[in-house]
Amino acid sequence: MDTITTKLSSEEIFNLMKQFITEVIGEEFVEEMDITPESSFTKDLEMDSIEIVSFSEKIKAHFGDQIDFTGWLSSMDLDQLINLNLGMIISYIEECQ
Amino acid sequence: MSKFLFVVPPFFGHISPTLSIGASLLARGHEVKWLGITSLAQVHLPQGGEFIYPEEDLAEYADEIERILKRQDDGPACSGPEVMKLALEETYVPFAKMMMKGLNNFVDKWKPDVIINDCITFAGALSAHLKGIPSVTTTPVPPDVMGDTANSAPKIFEWQQNLIKGLQREVGIYSDDIHIHSHELNMVFTSQTFAGFEEKPPHMHFVGPVKGRPNLAPFDWERLSKATTPKIFVSLGTLLVDIRAAFFQKLITAFENQPVTIVAATNPDIFEHWPDNFIVSGFVPQSELMPHMDAVICHGGFNTVNDTFTNGLPMLITPIAYDHFHTAKLIEQAGCGISIRYKRLRVSDLRETVFELLENPKYRQAAQRIRETFIEAGGNDKAVQLLEDFAKTAQVVETDSL
Repeated sequence: MDTITTKLSSEEIFNLMKQFITEVIGEEFVEEMDITPESSFTKDLEMDSIEIVSFSEKIKAHFGDQIDFTGWLSSMDLDQLINLNLGMIISYIEECQ
Repeated sequence: MSKFLFVVPPFFGHISPTLSIGASLLARGHEVKWLGITSLAQVHLPQGGEFIYPEEDLAEYADEIERILKRQDDGPACSGPEVMKLALEETYVPFAKMMMKGLNNFVDKWKPDVIINDCITFAGALSAHLKGIPSVTTTPVPPDVMGDTANSAPKIFEWQQNLIKGLQREVGIYSDDIHIHSHELNMVFTSQTFAGFEEKPPHMHFVGPVKGRPNLAPFDWERLSKATTPKIFVSLGTLLVDIRAAFFQKLITAFENQPVTIVAATNPDIFEHWPDNFIVSGFVPQSELMPHMDAVICHGGFNTVNDTFTNGLPMLITPIAYDHFHTAKLIEQAGCGISIRYKRLRVSDLRETVFELLENPKYRQAAQRIRETFIEAGGNDKAVQLLEDFAKTAQVVETDSL
């Protein structure tokens, strides 16, 4: 698959992430949530490990090898994982592009 | 004959299999006692067994124990990494510290031949190490719940190691080795096949489910015998009090007026009215009930999982927190059930999944295969044989070293 060569803005990344989250956890559950860059990944979006894996796969499928999302996650300690929010993921993707 | 001391946490799911093995050991003429951080009603103990609750040595921690027990109610609302912290850092490690004094005192007094610690009750193995007493570990859930953190999440591995080594230093063990579990014998109450282990460490023995603990809960058998539709057993276990009403409301919406009979283990007080096809009681004789059932819905508490596949029944597992997700993964791998995460559970999926489990024979067939692996694992007889052999050889080692 072709990797994306044009850089996405943080808003575009945010919308893309929102789309991935919706695909992973289901539209009706997303409707009950107010997804913002401050949304905590595990606490607000209540993503479990299986959902995080499929979210990671979507990132990989979209961005290819330029972003090692799983590697980035596995380098975190518990508090970093607990506090991980969407904004941090957006900044990480922006840096990697 | 030997003296066996079980060291258990204040969680009934972990105590339950030790009561079953304890009953078998007592029947063989051994002396068996239990020691815990909270008391346990005599009615749960097999004849001849004694539960030690070192109240005096625990008195200074009474408020803290109460607080930690209450904190467990937050578990279902916690994310995966928060649950890891809640379990290890906020529960297992502090409980181990608090138990040491009373446990060490009792061990000095009673002088058990073998200390058997439950896998989350570190004090047992630590005290055994300090006192030079042979120790065994019991593991009610399939091991490897956290996965290979050393490689996949090095910072989390480091956090675990630091917590455990800190605990060890505090109780007077200044070694870099980990002593919270036995290195000699670890008995796991499931089958190697179900746990998904291709290879296992030599000290790990999969003995399968054990049974025989006393359970005198009454039940309306006559009402059950009149039910003509497929019977679904539903349990949320002994914890998870807060989400009970929400869970059972979904169940009612899904199954009232449906051609099934729901046998639910929960306090009926949560609703004023239950549909006619629901048989509800607070405590049930679960092992006796299970052979009469056609399918099971549960969150993944391990004693219910064992009772289900011991009877070759298909399961809808709705994992909520803790090790439930790992168990759900194993069930889907084995093909003996379907997993729907509790937080993403829709009423329509609940209903459709139960009928799929009842109507598609492949789930029941896979459950029967797991049942066979459970029987082959040996259960109580195997556990008793391992413990008796261990007590004998451990004594020989001790005499040799004198």
